[in-house]
Amino acid sequence: MTPRVVAAGLVPLVLVAGLVVFITGPGGITAGIDPLPEITIERVDFVESEVRVVVRNTGSIPVDIVQGDINDRIQPSAVEPDGHLERFETAILRIPYAWNEAEPYAIGVTVHDGTRFERVVEAAAPAVPADLEQAGLLALAGTYMGVIPVFIGLAWLPFIRRLSQKRISFFLALTAGLLLFIGVDSAEEALEVSAENLAGSMNGALLALVSAGCAFLALQYVSGRLVSTAGSGSAMGAALMVSVGIGLHNFGEGLALGAAISLGSAVFSTYLLAGFAMHNTTEGIAIASPLAGQGRVARRLAALGVIAGFPAVLGAWAGGFAYSPISSVVFLAVGSGAAFQVAVTVARWVARGPGGLASPYVCGGLAAGLVIMYVTSIVL
Amino acid sequence: MRPRIMMAISVVAMAALCVAVLLPGPTTAVTEKRFITHSGAVISTTGEVLDPLYTVSTVEFDPDEYLRNFEYGRVSQEGGQTVREYTIIARDDQVQEISPGVFYNVWTYNGTVPGPTIRATEGDIVRIQFINQGSKQHTMHFHGIHPAEMDGVFEIVGPGGGQFTYEFEAGPVGVHPYHCHVMPLEEHIVHGLYGVFIVDPVGGRPAADEMVMVLNGFDTDFDGENNFYAANTVPFYYQHHPIRIQQGELVRVYAVNMVEFDPINNFHLHGNLYYYYPTGTDTVPSHYTDMVTLSQTERGILEFVYQYPGQYVFHAHKVEFSEKGWVGTFLVDGSS
Repeated sequence: MTPRVVAAGLVPLVLVAGLVVFITGPGGITAGIDPLPEITIERVDFVESEVRVVVRNTGSIPVDIVQGDINDRIQPSAVEPDGHLERFETAILRIPYAWNEAEPYAIGVTVHDGTRFERVVEAAAPAVPADLEQAGLLALAGTYMGVIPVFIGLAWLPFIRRLSQKRISFFLALTAGLLLFIGVDSAEEALEVSAENLAGSMNGALLALVSAGCAFLALQYVSGRLVSTAGSGSAMGAALMVSVGIGLHNFGEGLALGAAISLGSAVFSTYLLAGFAMHNTTEGIAIASPLAGQGRVARRLAALGVIAGFPAVLGAWAGGFAYSPISSVVFLAVGSGAAFQVAVTVARWVARGPGGLASPYVCGGLAAGLVIMYVTSIVL
Repeated sequence: MRPRIMMAISVVAMAALCVAVLLPGPTTAVTEKRFITHSGAVISTTGEVLDPLYTVSTVEFDPDEYLRNFEYGRVSQEGGQTVREYTIIARDDQVQEISPGVFYNVWTYNGTVPGPTIRATEGDIVRIQFINQGSKQHTMHFHGIHPAEMDGVFEIVGPGGGQFTYEFEAGPVGVHPYHCHVMPLEEHIVHGLYGVFIVDPVGGRPAADEMVMVLNGFDTDFDGENNFYAANTVPFYYQHHPIRIQQGELVRVYAVNMVEFDPINNFHLHGNLYYYYPTGTDTVPSHYTDMVTLSQTERGILEFVYQYPGQYVFHAHKVEFSEKGWVGTFLVDGSS
């Protein structure tokens, strides 16, 4: 591009910047009332004789945190590093309180104009310390949930290999069905987390859409490059895409698991773990199916399993140690976008086979994939 | 891009994330502050202390000054009667720090919530030049005996300098509230347009250490529930600044309940009992107790003498209110 072209492209940008400056300055129109302060209580931890509350300014003006309360009873408290929060800034409110395990608590935070914001915790449970032991526990849980089930699923490869081309296309379509389900599941979870935990000003649903869209497009680009350059390796390329997509999804699942464990919900996380483990075994089939026609793939298969499964451990750490609803929404949505993209990639691959997408094997496979995922998701 | 390279990139990225997630963040040394919880624990913090008890000295309204301040008016004689003249100005544009850091639009008589304590002797003429400098209609409605046109209900005083002169003979003996009576009434009261009117019997009451306590509350987020309660506006104030009284000396508290939204309020005294005179209209107490229950604008006189020196709590035994600020202490001085 010549400098002239660049300049021509910049002119409208400069003009619109000028317009914004003018509107926010001398040319402003004041109508209605000033914006109201808004905060979000993002996290509540119950530690030794103290309740720790992470507060974020999610409104459009700066706020001052001036008071904390428990069950609507004012408590002396401290806010660190300080109570003045610019937009999107966070602070930790420490409320000393001899809380009782398993009792519900309403945590209140009052800002400078006297508005009180509240978050209800259904059952207080001691927050787990961020130490190596806890990291080990979370890693173990992530391994049970993500890594081992994926490898178990990969053990279907020798079985799939002995099948005819038509039957393989059944399993590939099954993979696409599994991934479609995963995509919807993650998207639903992202929207749920955003509705429950994010302030309206964060546009949670759109944050999910943008994250999912970007993930989809990024994988679209990468898979395009893979398939076009790899040639005979395109089966491996497709399998890799499936693993990357599943890996991103498992990161989101790991977040949920880590958050559940760190909130001390032991029974809940055991069930969550078992449910995810069953569910994730089917992901191994998804990776194995594209490799049905390939030769010796054992070493690569192991790497694929790690790529698909290990992010569950990372997610468990992130969810357990540094849970934030915003990052949860982003990661869950990324997992969703990735799953959809990989479903599309697999569907394209299947479409090249005999009968295309309309063959009974493909339709049956897709339907079976959806049904299997639904059933495994409700069994536990 | 070859699959092998992609795999390598993925594995390296995961390893890097691994390190990022597990590494502790940077720490910086900051000076620590301390505060004491309601249950006595000492807590250190590197941040700001949020505690109405310990940071309240900066608020604009001074409950200590209000406590023992009685306005007897500009006194003159007309036809053998004592006339007490007052000028009361209503405003509705003030924003006051009613608890540390909490800014609320108070509506005021003479700039404070509660308004000035108007005090006269039974039979005195009370003449009040009322000026409404607010942006809404306001009035002054006194509880007590007076002609209909002095009731402050139908004689609406317009905003921006509207005036009205209230004139009536003080009576009956007792402690009464006054407040704005413009609709919507609840709104005008909860924003702070109220005060105390004391009518002394001719010859006065026995000498005592006298004080006024208006039991009030503030709904700072307009959800129909009070966020703060207090004796004399500022939550927890007298807990941090004990009211000093003398051992063996008669103490007389004129207590008026102006709390809205909650059907009742009450007054519990520690280490002692008080003689209670409902509305202060009778010279014989109705109760010897440490607990009276007060509905809206219900009020009375409490008289007590402390036998032992030390610090004694008084508070609403509807403890929700005391945990939101309606709590204080008497410091009984035994040295004299």
